[in-house]
Amino acid sequence: MTRKTKLSIIGLTAIIAAGMGGYAWAQTGDAALSAAMASGQVGEQADGYLGLAKPVGGDVRSAVEALNIKRRAAYTDQAAKHGVALREWAATIGCQTLRNRVKTGQAYLLPDGVWRVKDSSPIALPSTCG
Amino acid sequence: MSFVIEADDRERKKGMPMTGMRLVFCGGAMLLAGGCIQVKAPEKPIEINLNVNVKQEVVVRLQKDAQEFITENPELFPQ
Repeated sequence: MTRKTKLSIIGLTAIIAAGMGGYAWAQTGDAALSAAMASGQVGEQADGYLGLAKPVGGDVRSAVEALNIKRRAAYTDQAAKHGVALREWAATIGCQTLRNRVKTGQAYLLPDGVWRVKDSSPIALPSTCG
Repeated sequence: MSFVIEADDRERKKGMPMTGMRLVFCGGAMLLAGGCIQVKAPEKPIEINLNVNVKQEVVVRLQKDAQEFITENPELFPQ
């Protein structure tokens, strides 16, 4: 085994280890976020982003911020594709998440700035949702 | 208008030329200002209504695509 091959193997192992570490971290963040959503600490907002309904730990807060950055990037792309403003695409997503994805017991935020918890009846959507 | 001309004559006798012209300009400016206010008043609420309608129309038009986007990107929408 040449020196070069050895170095390559070490490098590859390091990359794989780093990747697995990142994956494990992401899984932990996702699990914490899901738990926070289920308990009504974190919820969907009418503006299309996630928000904090109650005080949460740093890990959940960073997971929410990271997800919102990803959402904004994807929304920017979609808004350009549809020829509308970012805010309009994001608000349309907000209408759909409030309509279809928020489950009973989860928190949600309407444009009036009040966090509510969903009960068995459908959410009273903002008038802009049509 | 006759009032303005008389004022013009009176002011000229006192050795203050151009004051009459100023009066005419002031009168014109006031008329224009009055006209502007009358035009603006009905315009404003119409504009607001249009904005609301356009936004709602945009949201309704995008709804199907938005739902598809959510379904295709489940990692962005944890539950």
